[in-house]
Amino acid sequence: MNSTNIAARAESASKIYGVGENEVRALDNVSVSFERGKFSAIMGPSGSGKSTLMHCVAGLDTLSTGKVFIGETDLSELSDKEITKLRREKVGFVFQSFNLIPTLNAYENITLPLSLGKKLGDEAWIKQVIDTISLNDRLNHRPSELSGGQQQRVAVARALATRPEIIFADEPTGNLDSKSGSDILKFMRRAVTDLQQTIVMVTHDAVSASYADHIVFLADGKIAGEMTQPTPDKVLDYLKHLGE
Amino acid sequence: MTLARKSRLLLTSLAIILGTSFLSGTSIFSATINSTFDRLFTDIFSEVNAYVRSTNSVDTGFGEQRAPSPVSALEIILKVDGVSAAVGDMQSYARVIGKDGEPLGKDQGPPTFGGIVSSSQAGLWIVESGRLPVGAKEMMLDRETAQTGKFVIGDTVRVNALSGTREFLLVGIANYGDISSPGGATFALFDQPTASEFLLKPGFVDAFLVKGDGSISDEQLADAISSALPVEANLETLTGAEITAETTSQIKKVLGFFTTFLSVFSFIALGIGCFVIYNVFSITAAQRQRESALLRAIGASRRQVTTSLLVEAVIVGLVGSILGFVVGIGLSQALSALLNAIGLEIPTSGLTINTSAIFYTVLIGTGITTLSAILPALRSGRVPPLAAMRATALDTVASLSRRVLIGVLLLVLGSVGVFATLNGAKIIVLGLGLVAVFAGVLVLGPAISKPVAMLLGKPVVKLRGITGTMSQQNAARNPKRTARTAAPVLIGVALVTSFTALAASIKGEIRETIGSSFHGDYALSVDSRGFGGIPISITDNIDQLPEVTTATGVGFIPAKIGDESPFVLVFNPKNSQGLYDLEMIEGSQSSLGKNEILVEQDKSIKKNLLVGSSVQVTLVDGRSMQLKVAGTYKNAFGNYAVSRELFEGSTTPLFDSFVYINTADGVSDQSGRKAIAAISADLGIGTLESRNEYIDSQAAQVNQLLALIYGMLFLSVIIAIVGIIITLLLSVFERKHEIGLLRAVGMTRSQVRTMVRWESVITSLFGAVTGVVLGIVTGVVIVVSLNESGISGFTLPITSTVFILIGSFIIGVLAAVFPAWRATRTNIISSIASN
Repeated sequence: MNSTNIAARAESASKIYGVGENEVRALDNVSVSFERGKFSAIMGPSGSGKSTLMHCVAGLDTLSTGKVFIGETDLSELSDKEITKLRREKVGFVFQSFNLIPTLNAYENITLPLSLGKKLGDEAWIKQVIDTISLNDRLNHRPSELSGGQQQRVAVARALATRPEIIFADEPTGNLDSKSGSDILKFMRRAVTDLQQTIVMVTHDAVSASYADHIVFLADGKIAGEMTQPTPDKVLDYLKHLGE
Repeated sequence: MTLARKSRLLLTSLAIILGTSFLSGTSIFSATINSTFDRLFTDIFSEVNAYVRSTNSVDTGFGEQRAPSPVSALEIILKVDGVSAAVGDMQSYARVIGKDGEPLGKDQGPPTFGGIVSSSQAGLWIVESGRLPVGAKEMMLDRETAQTGKFVIGDTVRVNALSGTREFLLVGIANYGDISSPGGATFALFDQPTASEFLLKPGFVDAFLVKGDGSISDEQLADAISSALPVEANLETLTGAEITAETTSQIKKVLGFFTTFLSVFSFIALGIGCFVIYNVFSITAAQRQRESALLRAIGASRRQVTTSLLVEAVIVGLVGSILGFVVGIGLSQALSALLNAIGLEIPTSGLTINTSAIFYTVLIGTGITTLSAILPALRSGRVPPLAAMRATALDTVASLSRRVLIGVLLLVLGSVGVFATLNGAKIIVLGLGLVAVFAGVLVLGPAISKPVAMLLGKPVVKLRGITGTMSQQNAARNPKRTARTAAPVLIGVALVTSFTALAASIKGEIRETIGSSFHGDYALSVDSRGFGGIPISITDNIDQLPEVTTATGVGFIPAKIGDESPFVLVFNPKNSQGLYDLEMIEGSQSSLGKNEILVEQDKSIKKNLLVGSSVQVTLVDGRSMQLKVAGTYKNAFGNYAVSRELFEGSTTPLFDSFVYINTADGVSDQSGRKAIAAISADLGIGTLESRNEYIDSQAAQVNQLLALIYGMLFLSVIIAIVGIIITLLLSVFERKHEIGLLRAVGMTRSQVRTMVRWESVITSLFGAVTGVVLGIVTGVVIVVSLNESGISGFTLPITSTVFILIGSFIIGVLAAVFPAWRATRTNIISSIASN
């Protein structure tokens, strides 16, 4: 695998909370890479460290030991300001909830990272993204006037707006009904396939994970296995083994 | 959650502490100075068993002036059985000139007295070193003054008093009781004949201090003296206890103006504090919606939810007001230090803390806290259990129409009250009307805060892009909260603006009055604060200078006229024409005779004192006469004017407050000033100014009062700032998800700060803009309603309005510093963590 094909990676990443007897290793010497132009998923049961891994790779949290890279940039060498700028320009985020700023309308939320960087962005691209989420008629609405599914679509559009290096999605369908949830997953799939974006999604749901090209399984802060070309059955089967 | 809860409690108590500390601070301060004076006079008069003084006096309402007593009475007093000693007492104007030629003491400082010192047991002064002065060439000084002036026994001391400037040999140093000098005043002390002749009038003293031999009670002693004195002497005898009580109550009356002034502003501060407390409870109750809803969901009744919040409020109120009281003690100390720093020395010995002060502070503090919590607590009780699922507290102005209705109703009622005053209703109606107008604006606040905040935020959006948009939206998203947060600023600014507008109008009026009445080249003026002034001998000396063509003095002396006791303008008809113009309507200013009086035209109509009629006038010394109204005038400070000849032969010391001067042709400014200063300024008497300087400085006197009012309102500004800080902090806690998200998607810490800062500025400016509008309207109303009292024409204080707006901008920036910093510390991970 050529390193230029890697959008983000972690090297011997450990995250330790507490000291002595209370020490908890949320991440224990994890090394993992996420390929450019692919849809990856991080799976694992609660407390497996999957969210911590995502937060650290995305520059939201810092490691205790080890290194993370976005592209070729070593995050441990950056100041808070530089990491913020990197998140703004090179990383996109979709969270489970509280994804949008209630005082801004949908369009302002989508272009928020660009506006924060005082950039106009690629207008044609933004238009394409907005067309894809088919929310053209609701752009002037505040989040409170949108359904949960529509809110998540706006969140995905915001993550795409800057055409980032990589997008991190943390249980993006966790709060949605199954119809809205699968809409979002299909939309993310298209963003990877048609728009050549890179997405890393944290999920504990086998069906969601099956939309990905590649799955990393985590248990007790360690890599427990990987899978390519997953289907829901394969994933469930694997998880069953993982539990044993 | 416990941390947020702790900070909420802390912030609520802070609001209560601030609100109550000013209240307790001023009450402790008042109690302390009152008891200090109690003790001081009890000490001073402790050796005095009886006090003899004239029965003739005039009380203008700004202190009493009493006639002197003839020294001849001393002989009679001394012969009364039971009297062991008696001595004349005097506190008249006298100014000691320092060795460097600079006077010790100024017109604006503590008083400079001249008095009597004697060997009598009844005297108040105790010789510390040297000996008592004897004859017209010797004097003593109080220890404090001797030290300040570096005078030692054997020095020659120059003293200015009513009858001129003389030199004396310093033969001793004295203490006043057991203190070196009371209240920072200076004392030049002489034997009785010298004091009477030099300071007052030969053969007269202010009063007599009598010491008994202990054989009879003070009451019996006073009665005995009283019956020994001839009726025609017009003297009365008080016991030591009576004169102590009277002097103390007089001082307290004077201090009363000041303490009332203080309490008015501490109540304003408390009222503003109420807004902050109410705001904090409203916000925290909204933030606790989930908690309350959860309680309801698991079976708590409405009443239980409401009660639990009220109990919390009572506890917080109790703790907050007790702490507020403690802070108030420090504040009262700071207040004395401040007054000492600006030269208003008030002797304080220790602290006086009444149990009633503690009781009232805690009662009021707990009371207003509980009251402020009632509405939010009721609202919490009404939270449906399902609200436990709702994410953030977004308040809605549901009953907007009702709010507008009530607000407009209050405004109308208030205006009616105000206009009723214009048509002659009592001043209390004006007060109530203005309160209603204020209340109306505050009720309307939430209805207008959103559009106004959006408007004020427009330039911020232009300037700061999306960050500015969020500031604008945040300031507008909770209209009630914004209105309540801005209310303290609004009230403070409205008060400042209306006072400034009023002051500007008064200044305009002063300029006009002086400008049209005073036509000379120079004016010599004192700000004597009702004591002393420019001895008329000085006026006459200036008049006789070769450089001066004319110098004419104007003074103010209390007198009884009909049923009033006003200060009467005393002037010199012989040389005032053309220099000091009363602007006569009828009659002539220059031909005013000794037995005539001039009356201001409106007063003349009101009191039916038309030209040709006569009026009964009683002077301080008891002389009573019928004066003929010889004319009416329209322009002067004072409703009655008499010739200074009226006081010839009177024991009332005559001082001028202003001397107006014309210099001879060809005399340069420099030599004119030098010649006049040789007579006045070198004695520390008055300020010599050119016509323009004089008009400016007279108008600027209003600024002193204004500065005091500003100083008191500064407390309110502090509370307003704290109010904004608290609200912003609570908003930052409340919006931690949002801030975390913003940080995650790339908002830098400095952008977070910018966002909070501009929200704060918009909120503060909202208060300032509405406050300025309200203040100007109030100012116009007050000025118009005071029209009758001689103020005409409203002057818009443009400069100060600009300063107020800049000031509130700065307040906004300052208030945001800590909350903005707090916002940048928001933990991204924990705030976006979905649970």
